[in-house]
Amino acid sequence: MRRRTRRWAVADDRRVPRTLHPVAWWIWAVGLATAASRTTNPLLLALVLAVLGVVVANRRSEAPWARAFKYYLAMALVVVGIRVVFRTIFGGDINAEDMHVLFTLPHVPLPSWAAGVQLGGPVTAEGTLAALYSGLQLGCLLCCLGAANVLANPKRALRVLPGALYELGVAVVVALSVAPQLVESFQRVRRARKLRGAQGRGLRVLRGIAVPVLEGALERALWLAAAMDSRGYGRTGGVSRRVRVFVGLCMVGGMCGLCAGAYGLLDATAPLPLGVPTLIAGGLCCAVGLALGGRQVHRTHYRPDPWRASEWVVAGSGVFAAAVLFAGLGAHGHGLNPSTHPLTWPSLPVGPALGILTAAVAAVVAPPPRRPARGGTRPAPPPAQETTCQAGSERAAPPTSRPAGKIVGVGSQASGVPR
Amino acid sequence: MTAGVRPPTPRGGERRWGEGQRHRVAIPIGVRPTAVIVLASFLGFVAFCWPFVVAPGSFGDSTMAPVMFGALLVLVLAVLFSEIADGGIDAKAIAILGVLSAIGAALRPLDAGTAGVELVFFTLVLAGRVFGPGFGFVLGCTTLFASALITGGVGPWMPYQMFGCAWVGMFAGWLPPARGRRELLMLAAYGSVAAYAYGFMLNLSFWPFTLGPGSSVSFVPGASLLTNVHRYLVFDGTTSLGWDTGRAITTAACILILGPPMLAAFRRAARRAAFEAPSVFYDPSTSEPLPAILDAAPATTAGIFQDPHGNVPAPVRSPEPGI
Amino acid sequence: MIAFEQVSVTYDGGESPVLRAVTARVEEGELALVVGRTGAGKSTFLGAVNGLVPHFTGGTLVGRVTVFGRDTRTHKPRELADVVGVVGQDPQAGFVTDVVEEELAYGMEQLGLAPSVMRTRVEEALDLLGIADLRDRPLVSLSGGEQQRVAIGSVLTTHPRVLVLDEPTSALDPTAAEDVLAAVTRLVHDLGVTVLMAEHRLERVVQFADRVIEVRSDGSVLEGPPESMLAVTDVAPPVVQLGRLAGWDPLALSVRDARRRGGSLRAMLSGQAPPPSRSLPAPGGPGHGDTVLTARRIVVRYGDVTAVRGVDLALCAGQIVALMGRNGSGKSSLLWALQGSGPRRSGTVDVRGEDPKSLSSSRARSLVGLVPQTPADLLYLDTVAEECAQADRESSGDSPSRPGSLPAHPSTTRDILDRLVPGVPDDSHPRDLSEGQRLALVLAIQLSAGPDVVLLDEPTRGLDYSGKQSLANILAELASQGRAVVVSTHDVEFAAIAADRVVVMATGDIVADGPTADVVGRSPSIAPQVAKILAPLEYLTIDQVARSLGAAFLEPSETGLPDPPRDAPRDASREAPSGSAGPAAP
Repeated sequence: MRRRTRRWAVADDRRVPRTLHPVAWWIWAVGLATAASRTTNPLLLALVLAVLGVVVANRRSEAPWARAFKYYLAMALVVVGIRVVFRTIFGGDINAEDMHVLFTLPHVPLPSWAAGVQLGGPVTAEGTLAALYSGLQLGCLLCCLGAANVLANPKRALRVLPGALYELGVAVVVALSVAPQLVESFQRVRRARKLRGAQGRGLRVLRGIAVPVLEGALERALWLAAAMDSRGYGRTGGVSRRVRVFVGLCMVGGMCGLCAGAYGLLDATAPLPLGVPTLIAGGLCCAVGLALGGRQVHRTHYRPDPWRASEWVVAGSGVFAAAVLFAGLGAHGHGLNPSTHPLTWPSLPVGPALGILTAAVAAVVAPPPRRPARGGTRPAPPPAQETTCQAGSERAAPPTSRPAGKIVGVGSQASGVPR
Repeated sequence: MTAGVRPPTPRGGERRWGEGQRHRVAIPIGVRPTAVIVLASFLGFVAFCWPFVVAPGSFGDSTMAPVMFGALLVLVLAVLFSEIADGGIDAKAIAILGVLSAIGAALRPLDAGTAGVELVFFTLVLAGRVFGPGFGFVLGCTTLFASALITGGVGPWMPYQMFGCAWVGMFAGWLPPARGRRELLMLAAYGSVAAYAYGFMLNLSFWPFTLGPGSSVSFVPGASLLTNVHRYLVFDGTTSLGWDTGRAITTAACILILGPPMLAAFRRAARRAAFEAPSVFYDPSTSEPLPAILDAAPATTAGIFQDPHGNVPAPVRSPEPGI
Repeated sequence: MIAFEQVSVTYDGGESPVLRAVTARVEEGELALVVGRTGAGKSTFLGAVNGLVPHFTGGTLVGRVTVFGRDTRTHKPRELADVVGVVGQDPQAGFVTDVVEEELAYGMEQLGLAPSVMRTRVEEALDLLGIADLRDRPLVSLSGGEQQRVAIGSVLTTHPRVLVLDEPTSALDPTAAEDVLAAVTRLVHDLGVTVLMAEHRLERVVQFADRVIEVRSDGSVLEGPPESMLAVTDVAPPVVQLGRLAGWDPLALSVRDARRRGGSLRAMLSGQAPPPSRSLPAPGGPGHGDTVLTARRIVVRYGDVTAVRGVDLALCAGQIVALMGRNGSGKSSLLWALQGSGPRRSGTVDVRGEDPKSLSSSRARSLVGLVPQTPADLLYLDTVAEECAQADRESSGDSPSRPGSLPAHPSTTRDILDRLVPGVPDDSHPRDLSEGQRLALVLAIQLSAGPDVVLLDEPTRGLDYSGKQSLANILAELASQGRAVVVSTHDVEFAAIAADRVVVMATGDIVADGPTADVVGRSPSIAPQVAKILAPLEYLTIDQVARSLGAAFLEPSETGLPDPPRDAPRDASREAPSGSAGPAAP
C-alpha cells in the first residue's frame, strides 16, 4: 500500500497532515542552535527567537510535551538573570577606569578561604552588557532545544534508537503508557482513603496512598510481562557466538580507546596521537559494536516515518543557517559579536540575518501535525458507540443486553475476512 | 489473574531473602559488563570533572569541551546500556523497569528545583537495593529518559543527569548486606550522601558555561587545578548547597518513612516475579530429562513433582530467564 | 491442535501439584471452554498452552504440551507468539503501547513482519473486531469492552492458530461482554481459529462450546462434549441447573432449547405461587422496614458531565437493593455521593438525622460504609492481622452509641471476617488473598465501624458461582442484622438471588425501581435465565424452582446450590466424559 504511493512534492505534502520525521526537526533545531552559538549580536539572537516562535506556533501538536516551550522561554530568562546577577555581585570590574560605571556595590571583604574571589565593587555598563549578550546567547540555545522537544514527537524519536538500545526504548515506551494509569490509580486510592476514615496525618496517610499504588503498579507489571512474553518480546535474531564475541571485543576495545583518548586529550604532555585520533578510533569501535549488537534483535516498525522532500527542506534550512553564520558571510567586523568595550549599538548584518530567516521556511514547508479528534478523553455511552463502530464493517446485531443466543446470528451473518 | 501469571505460593519453601539475594537480581551482570562499567565510570568521571583535570591549552575553544564530553557521555551510556542488557533483559525486569520509571517520571515534576530530582532518588535507591546494581543502573537511565520525554526536557544536560542517576541506583545495589533498622539507616545515609554528590557533579557539568567568563567564580580555562576547585567550591556553596541539602533531607526522610513498606513491596514483587526461577521439564515417557534447554547449573530437588511411575527424575534446569 | 500428555505442574515451593497428570486434546477449529472453581488451576492450564507455565512462572512441568507440533519445553512463550495468542482478564494491564493502532502492531513488530504486511493486517483486525473508528484513540480513554476487543485484535494480527482467553469478560458489563463474545465466536466460525476460553459466566458462552474442559479442585481434568460434561461439572449456569433439576437428558444449553423443552416443567409449576426469591428471608429484627437513609435530588457533576441527575432514593433497614445499569450510568457516582466521600453538587442525604457529607470521614463511615470497586485500594499493611488491628483502631474512635442506631459492635474486625469467610490466615499478605477473600476483608473492615447502611460497588467481579452465592448469603446476613444494603452489579443472576429490590439507572436517572421480580422478571433484556425459560411464571432463581418442586429429591450443597444428581441415568450412546485422571483413571 505504501509502495504505491508516489513521491510527493513538497507542495502536495504539506497539505496532508502528518508528523514530520523527528530527526528532521532535531537537525533543524541543532542547526539553528549552532548558528546562535556563533553570534552574541542581540538583534540576530532575537531573530533566531522569532523564527523559533513562528515555527513552534505553527507546527506544534497538541501532545503534552508540546506545551513545554514556554518553560524553555522562562528558563532562558532565568539564565540571562543568573549571568547578569553573578556578573554584578562577583564580577566587580577592577579596572573600571575607562568604563561607564553604573553604580558601585560595597566591596565585601571575604574570609581567607575565599581569597581571590571578588564580592561587590563597581558595576559597569560594559560588563553588564557583555553578561547580558552571552546570557541571551545561552538562553537562545536553550530555546532551540526546547523547540526541538516541542516539535519532534518523542515516541517517534525512540524508533531511531539503535537496535542495541532496544530495551531502553521498550522500558521508556512502557513507562510512557503506564504513567497515565498510575496517575489514575493515585487519584482512586486517595479518594478511597476517606472510606477508611483517613485518620492521622503525614506518615500514615503517605503510606496509605503509596503502598496501594505501588503494589498495584508492581502487580500490573507482572501481568504486562506475561503479556509481553507471550506476544513475542525478546525474540532474538539468532546471532552466532562468533559475532557476539566480536561485539564484546569491539565494545571493550572501544571503551579502552575512549579512555586513552580522553586521557590524551586532558594531558598536554601525552603524545599527540593519544588525543583526538584515539578518541575517534575508540568511538568508531564502539559504534561498530553497537551496530552489530543491534542485529540480535530482529524487529520492524509499523508505519515507519518517511523521509520525504519536506524533511530535506526543513533539515536543510537549519543546516544552511548554521553554515551561513559559520562562514560569517556578509558580516563585517563586529557584526556577529558587537563590541561592548567600547559601547556600540549593535547593527544587523544582512547576510546572517537572511541565513537565519531561511530557517523560518520550516513553518510553511513542514506538513501540519495531525490533530486528533477531540472528545476522546471520555468514553461515550457504550450502545451508541458500538453501533457506529460496527456499521462500517458489517451489519451486527443490535448490542442490547440480550441473551447470548443472539451471538450465533452475528457469527453467521459476518461475511468472512474483510478484504 | 492473567493467563499463567500464577506466582509461586508466597508461603512455604521460599528462600530467605538475605542469603538468596545475590542469586535473584533482576538483571545480572557478567564479567564483560563489569569491565565496561569500570571503564565507563572512568570516562563518566572525566566527563563530569574535566574542568579540574584539563591541561592548559588542550581545548582551543572553551565551548568545544562540554559539547565533546556530552557526546562522549551519550556514546558511553549507549555502550554501557547495551552491555548490561546483553542478550536481552527479561520481560519481567523490563515491565518492572517501565513501571518504576513511570513512577519516577511522574514524581519528578513535583519538585521545584531545576537540577533537583528529590523525589526520584528514594525510589532509585530502594529499587537498586532490592533488584540489584544492574537494575539500579538501568532504572536511573530509563527514569530520567522517560521523564525528559514526557516533559520535553531533552538536551545536552540529559546524559549527565542519566549518568548521575544511574550511578546512584547502581551503587545502591552494591551496598553491604544488612537487615531491619540498620538497613534503613544505611540506605537513608547513602541517599543523602548520594544527593549531595549528585548535586556536586551536576553543577560541575554546567558550571563552565553557565556563568560565562568575567565573574570571579567562573571557570578559568587553563588555570591551575587549585584555582578552579576553589572557584567551583565557592560557586557550589553559594548557589546550590541549599538545594542539595533540601534534596538530601527529603531523600533521607522519604527512605525512613516509606522505606519499610516499599522495600517489602519490592521484595514481594521480586519474589513473585521469580527472577531466574528454575523451570524444569521432565518427560515420563522416556524417563529421562530432555536435552531441550539444558543448563550447567547443578540440579536442585526442591519442589520437583515425582512422576506417577515412581521414577525420581534428575531434574533439568532451564536457564530462565535467558539473560 | 493442542495436546496435553500426562501433564503435572508444581510451582516452586508449592506442596502439591496444581495440575495432576492431565491428558487433554483440543482439535483444530474448536471452541473449548475451560471451567472450574476459582483457584482450581484454570489459569495454570491456560498458561501451559503457550509455555508461560513454567518458563515464565518457574516450577516443574512433568509430561509434554504440544501446540501444532511445537513442544513447549523447547519453545519459550515468545517463540510461540506466532501460533498462540493470549488475552488476559484485565486488558489494560497487558497493553504495551498507548494508542490503539500501535498496540495492534506491537506483536507483529516483535515478529519482524514487513511494514506493508503489518499495515494490511492492522486494517483487517480493525474491521474484524469493529474497532476501526478507535484507531487513533489513546488506550486509556477506551471503555472496558473496547479495550478487550483491542486486546484480542492485538494478538490476532500475528495470525495465531490458537487463541487463549482467560476470563475475557469478567470485568465487563453485559453489553460489552456480548460484543467481545460475538467477536470471539465470529473468529471461530469464520476464521477457524482454535479458541481456549476460561469464563465464569457460563450462561453466555456454553451454547457455542464444542468441548468443555473442567479443571477440578484436586488438579485433575475432565473433558468432553458440553452436553455430557455439564451434567457433572462443579459449576453450571442456571439453564443447566434447571435441566439437571428437571432431569433433562441431553441437557438444554441455551434458553431457546430450554424454553422449547420446558413445557412440562412449566405445567408442573403453574399450580403454585413461587416462593420468595431470596434464599434467607429477612426475619423481623429490630427496626426492620424503617427508612434508614433518605436521599433527595442528588446531583453529581464532573466538569460539564452530569453523572447523576437529581435522584431520590430511600433505603430501608433489612432490605437489599441491587443497583443496575450499564457502565457510565452513574451507579458508582451515586454510591459515593450517598457515602459522603464522593462529590455532590446538590441534594441532601439524611442518615438517622445526619448528613454524612457534613461529618468527618470517620464519623461518616460509621453511618454509611462503602466497599469500592477495587477493594485493594483500602489495604496497605503487610498482613491480614495488621489490617484487622488497624481497622479496630480506626473504628474505636467513633462514638460507641448513637441514639436510635444499631448496638455498637462488640466484636473485632477479625471476628467479623471469620464470620464472613472462615479461615483466612492471619499472616497472609492481603494482596495474596483470593478475590473473594479480599472483598470479605474490606467488607469486614468497613463493618467494624458498625454502619447502618452498607454499599458495595461491583463486588461480583471475578467471583464464580459459589463465590457469588456466598456473597449473597453474606448480604442476607447483613440485612438480617437490620442494615440497609445496596449493591451495584451488572450480573442479573446475582441480583435475582440476592436482592429484594432492584433499581435501574440510565444516564444518571433512575428508570426503574421496585421489587426484584417486578423489575427484573418482566424485562425482556435483563431477565435471569430461569425467568426467561419459565415465563409467564414468576420464577427468578433455581432455588425457587427447587423449593417448589419439593426439596425432597435434592440435597442442598454447602453453597446453597443444588448438587447435580450424580447417579442420574445417562444415555450410554452419548459420549461419556473422558476422565483423564479421576480417581478411577489409571
